[in-house]
Amino acid sequence: MMVPMARDLAIDLGTANTLVYMKGRGIVLNEPSVIALNRQTGEVLATGREAWQMIGRTPGYIVAVRPLRGGAITDFEITERMIRLLLQRVGVSRFTRPKVVICVPSAITEVERRAVTDAARRAGAADANLIEQPMAAAIGADLPIDEPVGNMVIDIGGGTSETAVISLGGIVALEAVRVGSFDIDAAIQNYVRREHGIAIGERTAEEIKVAIGSADPTPDENQAEVRGRDLMTGLPKTVILTPEEVRYAIEDVVSSIVASVIRCLSKAPPELSQDFLVRGMYLVGGGGLLRGLAERIERETEVPVKMSNVPLEAVVLGAGHVIEHYEALKGMFMGARR
Amino acid sequence: MPVVVGAIVVLLALAAFFVLAARRRGHPSDDIDSFRRQIDALSPEARRQTSERMKPSDGRSTDDDGANGT
Ligand SMILES: Nc1ncnc2c1ncn2[C@@H]1O[C@H](COP(=O)(O)OP(=O)(O)O)[C@@H](O)[C@H]1O
Ligand SMILES: [Mg+2]
Repeated sequence: MMVPMARDLAIDLGTANTLVYMKGRGIVLNEPSVIALNRQTGEVLATGREAWQMIGRTPGYIVAVRPLRGGAITDFEITERMIRLLLQRVGVSRFTRPKVVICVPSAITEVERRAVTDAARRAGAADANLIEQPMAAAIGADLPIDEPVGNMVIDIGGGTSETAVISLGGIVALEAVRVGSFDIDAAIQNYVRREHGIAIGERTAEEIKVAIGSADPTPDENQAEVRGRDLMTGLPKTVILTPEEVRYAIEDVVSSIVASVIRCLSKAPPELSQDFLVRGMYLVGGGGLLRGLAERIERETEVPVKMSNVPLEAVVLGAGHVIEHYEALKGMFMGARR
Repeated sequence: MPVVVGAIVVLLALAAFFVLAARRRGHPSDDIDSFRRQIDALSPEARRQTSERMKPSDGRSTDDDGANGT
């Protein structure tokens, strides 16, 4: 009897979203990196979109968590279970042993890396390797990283922001911080609580960010009606939030993201930094979609910023390209040369 | 006859020696090859193939599906 062979996989294990690319097929899964557990028994109750819908709306015995939230693995066991379930859902078992390439935030430690590859192997992967997220992003965003020129990519995710300079298929400079779009949500939550006296959940804060948030003044700005719980009376209450208020609320987070881009620029060798002036820097990641952010980075660095046309998929497409050319590109795996 | 067999053995041993020596010396050029292969695989032409596969988003790409082994 023929044993079914699974196709090789590339996985973008993001702090906010997980994407899976199957060799020869393309993207086969795209959903939030969330898992819902029974607090008492530890059973997994839901993953992905279903679990995401539970955030902030669960009874006491259920907890919906993002295991990679801060760009670090806070709970190895939960992360391992998430990886296993993910691989199961795309058809991996002990009988179909695909090769797997996984993108992780570059800030994760050696121990965390091993935890991820071990989890994938235990779930049935014949071989599991990691590649740096900004490298995958640069491949996916179609930057000419095969040439000896300075390519700069800025990836702003939920829990992390990573900026890298890449030339000739290798990382020349890297700056990764554990600050991202989730911190913008948290800043909005704090502001509304402090200034308007109402409590809102993280999903409402995210909606406000996407609807009216901005890093720099933009034309045609709107106000938003925000519903939450009045901290004094405990009753539902609606307040109006202006775009200026939101900009003020998130300013600290935005400026620390911009500062990390500037630090990366200053680490680049001079020969490569002149290339940026001509070629610009490429912005990817959901956090990069914040209104006015590209303009803001451009204004502060005086380097043109271009938005990738696949901001949310660039990383998994880049990793997918590596899985398509596995033999030729296996030298790019984390730890392959060191 | 034994002289011929002896000569063949000696020749084979020499050939094996040269092959091994060439392998050892050939290492740097292997490195160059694999670096070239890596750079080529990152070229726009190589990447166009991956991105073309992406276009029929329902996964029913006409020609190259299945050619990649199942
Ligand atoms: N239009 C938008 N404006 C601002 N933020 C956005 C927008 N779309 C998505 N985001 C934010 O991007 C983050 C997810 O980005 P993503 O690149 O998927 O993260 P990660 O790679 O860390 O999983 C979320 O915090 C989400 O709120
Ligand atoms: Mg990402």
